[in-house]
Amino acid sequence: MANQLLEVKELSVSYGDVRALQDVSLEVEEGSIVALVGANGAGKSTLLKTVSGLLHPKGGQILFLGEDLGKLNPKHRVDRGIVMVPEGRRLFQTLTVLENLRLGAYLPRARATYDESLERVFGLFPVLKDRKDGKAGLLSGGEQQMLAIGRAVMAHPKLVMVDEASLGLSPILTRAIFELIVALNQQETTVLMVEQNIHMALKICHKAYVMRTGSIVLSGSGQELLANEDVRKAYIGERGSRL
Amino acid sequence: MGSLAQVLINGILLGSMYGIAAAGLSLIFGTMRIIFLAQGAMIVFFAFVCYWLFVKVSIDPYLSLLIVVPFAFLVGLGLFYTLFRKAVALEDKNVSLLIAVGLMYLIENAILKVWSATPRGLDISYSGATLVFWGLRVSWLRLALLGLALVSAGVVFVFLKKTRVGTAVRAASEDLEATKLQGINSLWVCAISFAIGIGLAGVAGVGLATVYSFDYQFGFVFSIKALVALALGGIGNVFGALAGGILLGIIENLAAYYVGIAWIEIVSYGVFMLVLIFLPQGLFGRRGLVKKV
Repeated sequence: MANQLLEVKELSVSYGDVRALQDVSLEVEEGSIVALVGANGAGKSTLLKTVSGLLHPKGGQILFLGEDLGKLNPKHRVDRGIVMVPEGRRLFQTLTVLENLRLGAYLPRARATYDESLERVFGLFPVLKDRKDGKAGLLSGGEQQMLAIGRAVMAHPKLVMVDEASLGLSPILTRAIFELIVALNQQETTVLMVEQNIHMALKICHKAYVMRTGSIVLSGSGQELLANEDVRKAYIGERGSRL
Repeated sequence: MGSLAQVLINGILLGSMYGIAAAGLSLIFGTMRIIFLAQGAMIVFFAFVCYWLFVKVSIDPYLSLLIVVPFAFLVGLGLFYTLFRKAVALEDKNVSLLIAVGLMYLIENAILKVWSATPRGLDISYSGATLVFWGLRVSWLRLALLGLALVSAGVVFVFLKKTRVGTAVRAASEDLEATKLQGINSLWVCAISFAIGIGLAGVAGVGLATVYSFDYQFGFVFSIKALVALALGGIGNVFGALAGGILLGIIENLAAYYVGIAWIEIVSYGVFMLVLIFLPQGLFGRRGLVKKV
């Protein structure tokens, strides 16, 4: 059997009395790209936040390389290689590009590989090198998304969770960001992505899960789901693409 | 002309005290999102500590900085972990604010109990020494106060700009949750910035003790002055806070000189209101007390 990096087992999460996730189970194979798709409010972001330790589950388990993450705080999860690129990028706008990247490599484990990681980030995103001393807030939307992903790469991650990377970007930039995610994946980083651009996400992922109102309703390879009539109707639309 | 220059100089020197206090408030506000109203009470407390060191063991106030400031830093860490550890995690910042209000009155009354209501001041052998140039008289002690303010602001500035933890503090004052996602221990970052803020209260306390007479009730006014200085300077950089303090000192002295001492408070709070209404981001800051939407 293939090596599972992340296993989520019957996870339930609530905000107060409102249940956001109900018995969600999924697996992320090492070295793959897994997409999590579905309408707004389906619980995709909640799932990522729970895996990164910002939210605590009501029930279920999250295993990372076989280890139960239990109540580990975000810091220890980052130290194990679980890094999230949050929705809306959440860059430190008044800090320089380089300072943002340095903060990505804050923990000792990541600092040990700082030089290599920085080279890797500048290799993936050359524009960041040119603008490394500029304020992050002055970057364009696409560049900011690159920096957000770059900041995650600095942590020397095993799993990068990208929440809505294409949000607010033009179709051309969206395509560029997706290509970069694929490039990142080819450098042996596993990716779990939440996307509202379902067509594109299904095209690049190895496996996808479709969520609806807090549960997973469908899963399969990207190709299978692209061919699935229900998925096409519900999420992609008649023309086959939202681009 | 000579007397106007004298007024300006006095204003700058008085204002440097407000500036140190405001820099502390700015740091604490950055990560904890509250106006730490007990800052003035802390300053008076450290002024009393300095007073005691002077009276009981005759330690020179400037030498006592070496004891008072590290002590203040440790008090800051202790207060943070006992009082604010739980409250900082809450969405509602009013809890932290109310704890600060409670702390303010607790400290005031503890000072009253220990040191009584009698105003105190240090009788320093060199307190009368003045520097005279171009017909202007400047007390060396007050000049030292300005030096102290500049050095402390410089130290905090270098810490924020050049160190790893300092960078994390700046990041946390922008987006605390995002620092968690970098694996940064956000509680520790809050604790450090709080402790540095209280360390600055230690600096201001010693400065206060060397120049002014003070009693247990002096703190609240000082907190409010620091808040005015912060509003003028804008949150987001230490030198902005310091400049805001100096500006307030100048405004107060100008008001006293041109319209009379009774008008000092009316003018300075008037300016405070005007700045908040028309320039809520402050004069030098990137953002004011309220984040721009």
